[in-house]
Order: sequence, then C-alpha cells, then structure tokens
Amino acid sequence: MIDFARVQKELQECSRDIEASGIRVSPKSDNLGCLIGTIPGPIGTPYEGGTFQIDISLPDGYPFEPPKMQFATKVWHPNISSQSGAICLDILKDQWSPALTLKTALLSVQALLSAPEPDDPQDAVVAQQYLRDYQTFIGTARYWTETFAKASSLGVEEKVQKLAEMGFPEALVRSTLEAVGGDENLALEKLCSG
Amino acid sequence: MDDCLSSDEDYYYSDRDSLDGLENEEADFQCAPPKGPSTKVITKESLLSAQKEDLRKVMDMLSLREHHARTLLIYYRWDAERLLAVLVEKGKACLFAEAGVKVVEHQDLDSPSFPTITCDICMEDLPSEETTRVDCGHCFCNNCWTEHFIVKINEGQSRRIRCMAHKCNAICDEAVIRNLVNKRHPDMAEKFDRFLLESYIEDNKRVKWCPSTPHCGNAIRIEDDEFCEVECSCGLQFCFSCLSEAHSPCSCVMWELWAKKCRDESETVNWITAHTKACPKCHKPVEKNGGCNLVSCICGQAFCWLCGGATGRDHTWSSITGHSCGRFKAEREKKSERAKRDHYRYMHYYNRYRAHIDSFKQESKLKETIQERVSVTEERDSRLRDFSWVNNGLSRLFRSRRVLSFSYPFAFYMFGDELFKDEMTQEEREIKQHLFEDQQQQLEANVEKLSKFLEEPFDQYGEDKVMEIRMQVINLSVITDTLCQKLYDCIENDLLASLQFGSHNIAPYKSKGIERASELTTCWKANNSDKYLPSDCGASGGTAEFDQPSGSGSSDESGCPLRKRARKDGLGGGLFDLNLPAEVVDRN
Repeated sequence: MIDFARVQKELQECSRDIEASGIRVSPKSDNLGCLIGTIPGPIGTPYEGGTFQIDISLPDGYPFEPPKMQFATKVWHPNISSQSGAICLDILKDQWSPALTLKTALLSVQALLSAPEPDDPQDAVVAQQYLRDYQTFIGTARYWTETFAKASSLGVEEKVQKLAEMGFPEALVRSTLEAVGGDENLALEKLCSG
Repeated sequence: MDDCLSSDEDYYYSDRDSLDGLENEEADFQCAPPKGPSTKVITKESLLSAQKEDLRKVMDMLSLREHHARTLLIYYRWDAERLLAVLVEKGKACLFAEAGVKVVEHQDLDSPSFPTITCDICMEDLPSEETTRVDCGHCFCNNCWTEHFIVKINEGQSRRIRCMAHKCNAICDEAVIRNLVNKRHPDMAEKFDRFLLESYIEDNKRVKWCPSTPHCGNAIRIEDDEFCEVECSCGLQFCFSCLSEAHSPCSCVMWELWAKKCRDESETVNWITAHTKACPKCHKPVEKNGGCNLVSCICGQAFCWLCGGATGRDHTWSSITGHSCGRFKAEREKKSERAKRDHYRYMHYYNRYRAHIDSFKQESKLKETIQERVSVTEERDSRLRDFSWVNNGLSRLFRSRRVLSFSYPFAFYMFGDELFKDEMTQEEREIKQHLFEDQQQQLEANVEKLSKFLEEPFDQYGEDKVMEIRMQVINLSVITDTLCQKLYDCIENDLLASLQFGSHNIAPYKSKGIERASELTTCWKANNSDKYLPSDCGASGGTAEFDQPSGSGSSDESGCPLRKRARKDGLGGGLFDLNLPAEVVDRN
C-alpha cells in the first residue's frame, strides 16, 4: 500500500518552497498514485528557459520502492529517451532510498539535465551525437527545448512562416532555425549574412 | 616375463594398498586436515557449520562480530584470501567501508535525551522506543524499517540490505532485520535466514549445488582447482565447472556443443539436405533410390532430380520430354557435398563414441557375472584366494571406457573446423591429429584386450589358466592406466596448451576414478548437529540424514572434548541462534 500520509506531507512540503526550487508536484487526479512533476530547465544549459513535465506514478511499495518517472515533455538528452521519455538515473533504480522524496528525486533529474552522462546512455543516438559532435548536440537540445518545453514562445511553425514570408526558402529557414536552437533573431541574422 | 610378473605383483599390491587408502580416505583427511584433495559434501545439516567455520576465520583474524564477518564474506564472495589481500593492500577502514561494515564504538546508547524522534521516512513523530538506530547511526521508526526489510527480502536482496538513508552504504545488522521482520512475518524472517545461510553456496565460487534431479539437497565444496570432477554422496558424478555429467578429456565447451549436437536433429537435417529433394507439389523430402533423373513422389508428381522442377512423365535415360534444366547448380552441389562430408565426419566420431558407451553398458552387467564366477571359484578350494584383481581390472575397464568414449567428441572438435579453424594450419592439424590418434588407438586396443580377458569364464578353467588370465588382467590394467594418463597429458600439454583463442580446460586424470566427496566434519558439526535440527532456521524439511555417523570413527575423537562440553552446558539450541554473536556462543 502506498503511504498516502507521507505523499500528502511531501506535496505540502514541496509547495512550501516552490519559489526557491521551482519544482512543482501535483496530483493528476484524485488518485495520489499518479502525479505530475514540473522542473525548470537548469540555467546555463540548452534546456534553460524550458519547463519540463514529468509523469510520476507511485508503486504500491512507495516510499520503499522507487517512484516511476518519465518525461512527458520531449527532451534531447543522452540519458533520456527521445522517444519515450524514459529516464536513466540510478536513484530511480537500485540507488533509491526511502529517505529520498519526490522533490529530491526531481532535483536529481534536474541535475541530470545539467550533467549528462553519455557513457551510460539511455538514448544511443543522442549520446553518440553528444560525444562526436557536441555543437550539434547543443543545437538540437536547444531546438527541442524551444519547440517542446516552451509554452509561451512562438511555435516553430509560426517562426518558419514568419521568416519564410521575409523571402527565405522554407527548407533553409527550417535548417537554420534548428542550427541556432530555435532562436528567431539569431536565425534571421544568419540567414541575412549567409 | 619374470620381470614383467614381478612388476605386476608390485603394481598389484600397491593398487590394493591404494584402494584401501581410498576406503579410509576420510580418516586420512582428519589426521592431516589441511592437506590432500578434499572435496566436501555440504548437506543441509552441515551448511551452517561450514559457514561458521569460514566466519570464524575472519572473526578471529579481525576480531569482529559474526554479522560483520558475514557481511564482509558475502561481499567478498566467501573468498577469505581475497579479503585478506584487500586488508593488507588497502587497510581495515577501506575494507570495511567498501563492504558496508560499520563497527561502532558505541555512541551513547539510544540517545535518551529525546523522548520523540521524527522518522524521516514516514515523517511522523514517534516515541524513541518505537524507533531503531543501526550501526551507521541512522535512526528510523520500526514500521518503516520493517517495510524496507520486507521489500528488500522480496527483491531477493537479503544478503545485502542497506540502511535506508540516502547514500548510506552500511549493511543493516541481521539481528535487527530478523527481530523486526519476525514480528510481522515470521515466515519472511525464516526466508531471510535461509538466504543468509545459502549465500555460502550461491555466492561462493568454491561451492556449488549438486545438480542431481530430484535434488539431493547437497552442495559440493572444492579446495582449489575448479576444473575437476566430483562425486556427490548421492552418487552423482559431475563436472564441477559446468555441472553436466563428467566428460573429461572433453573440455566443457566441447561437451556442451557435443551434447547439443547429439540431442537435436541437426545432423538428420544435414542428411536430408544431402540426400533428398522436396517434391514440388507436396513438399515432402524425396530420396532418389536409383534410376534416372526423373523422380516421382508418392503423391504422384514427377520432377527433375537435377533442378527440382515439376515435369511430365515421358523420358529417356538422359532427358525428360519438354524439360531441359541443363544448368549446373554448382553452388547447391557444393553445399550438399559439404553437408554430406560433415555428416560423414560426425557419424564417424559419434559411432565410436556411442560404441564405447554401449560397451560400457554391456560391461556393467559383467560385474554380476564376475561376482558369480568368483564365488564359484572360491568354493573350489584352491590356492587362489584373492580375487581383487578381477574387480580392480573391471574398475579399470570402466574408467578407461569412459575416457575412450569422451576422447571422440574431443577429437571431433579438436580437429574440426568449428572451434579451432584459425588456430592451426592444415599441416599442424594433421600432425597433431596423428599424434592423438596414435595414443587413442593404443588405448583402444588395450582396453579391448582387457575386456576380452575379463569376459573369460575363468570359473571353468584350471588354476594355471586362471593365473595366466590374472596376470594378463593385471598387466593390461597397468598399461591402460598409463595410456589414459598419457592421453590426458597429450591433450593438455600438446593440444590444448598451445591454443591461443578461448580457454579449454579439462579435469585432471584420476587413476582411481572420480573422487567421491567426503562429508564435511567439523567441530561445529560434532558439537551441535543434534541441537541444530529442531531449531533449524530455514533448511526446511531437513530429514535426519545426519544421524548416520559421517564416515569413520575418528571424527569422534577429534570432536569429542567439544561435544562433551556442549552437551553438559546444554545450550538448548542457543548455539544455533543466528541472533547471538559468536562471542556469546563461545563464552557459553
């Protein structure tokens, strides 16, 4: 049986310092077994500015068994599956300790975003890119953050349309946007200079 | 001839001596415990004492409590020598830290200053008596601990349950686990104890379960070389390394491949490819039993043997009406040639392997016949009294047959393409093969001779003739023994040693046959076996096998003083309470 008293306390605790940590956990429905966690992309990384949602489901043995976590937001990262959002993180597996909480686990996930471990990859394609062509990796990660993790900014399609209207070929616009990580202004600069 | 005879006599007596030695093996081992090949049988009953013995070494060496010693040994897979090496190399602190052992210089016992403690797991405030502090100093409530332990036991982690605190590497005190779990799930506590006990077998490279089915409940412990063949007290002989039947001089890899090859139908399939073609209509394989290239299937369909295509029925010897395939299918031809050759090669080795196995089975019946002949001859009051030569000869015959039969699968792989294609040139291979086959044939010839003499109805012969047979049997026994040894040497030194890829090891040749593991006898057992069973912690359904005195009487002598003392003290099962640290047990 899930220890719901503890989950309840965790939620309260988490909402208390939401300002400081930026980490939010809220139930998906009435059922406390299914939750949604939200973490901000760490500053100074290609994930900066993004808000990432993580599906959390608690096993019956929680907190004695680790919570199951999976990115709901698409993210480009060597230790996170670009397809399914599955996370490769030791504390979510054998290194889990009942003394950890949802908040601390999410903090660890956030830390993983800043410090990828390409030698222990979840997504081999991303990991290879990270190791062989770091610049492209940064570009793609930023582009994915722009595209999938930013609700407020313009969607990619709108940016493409906007730039295409300025008279650049659409295909070129797309590739340039991707190369600069989705930044509209940088893309324009590049398009004009190239 | 005289020379030969005397040497035979020598052999004869020495063989008898050594056989005597074999019977009294156990007594010998007890006289000189650390020496000699001492494969041991560990039964359900002696498992605990076997474990204790190793624990004691480490406890004495490092002056530790039992559960700490167990944690260390489990971490180092019961390899006390490696543990010692780490101790010397890295020091005690590092040794302990890596294995998760925290030895406390007790902090003020359960800090009584706080009446309530907040458990970091359930986040409740609880009276301190409902919490437990473990060696590493972390304290949580009993409920949470229990939950944690149960989850870990169910996950099969009993042997290394860590503290609940994040990044705390310490292994929890087994007594704490046992007590807490026992309160809620006594069956689970039992399971936990069993896991700890069986760790000695499952985490230990020197110990393996006997592979008998139905399982005899025993495990076998070897002393040094894992490439050896053993006999469990249940009578099963097996290869310790791969746990399949004893197969030397075949290596484990070879034997596995061979057994699989014999089991599945791959060779039948090969034969079918080489000799048949599928009917184009009903797809049954059709074998051509002569005649021209127009073949008709039992379903009535005619087809061309050369190309497999359906045809009409009119034909001459060389052509079929309205059909000209003409094209020579070189590729297919080659493939079927190859399959035919491979199959032929396999059959060659298989037939010989099988033949020796069959002879062995036939000869097993000989044993009874020979016993009868012996008793008949014995009644005929003659100067022939001693018939151990027949039995010795027969044992020699069985052992040599075994060697011979397994030498065929060995040769199949050693000189085939499957395993060592790139290891040697064709020339090298031929030279080696000749060398090996030479040895093999010599052995074969002598084994057959030995078999022939043993089958003689010596009870119907006169004394002189019997004496002659006796001499021949003794003589041939020595020769086959030497030849077996030579064959093993050849395999080990000339054939396997030079291989570069893959390691193939074989169990050493044992002139006296596969060694039977002896019962493990320790002071602990002599001491406690009678107390152990009732309080049996987990070795469920243990039958009272241990009642049989293990081997010879000398175990009594060695265990005597201790046993007496233990009985007097009458600890009432306390000795086997895993809860008690060993020091306490000792003091008692």
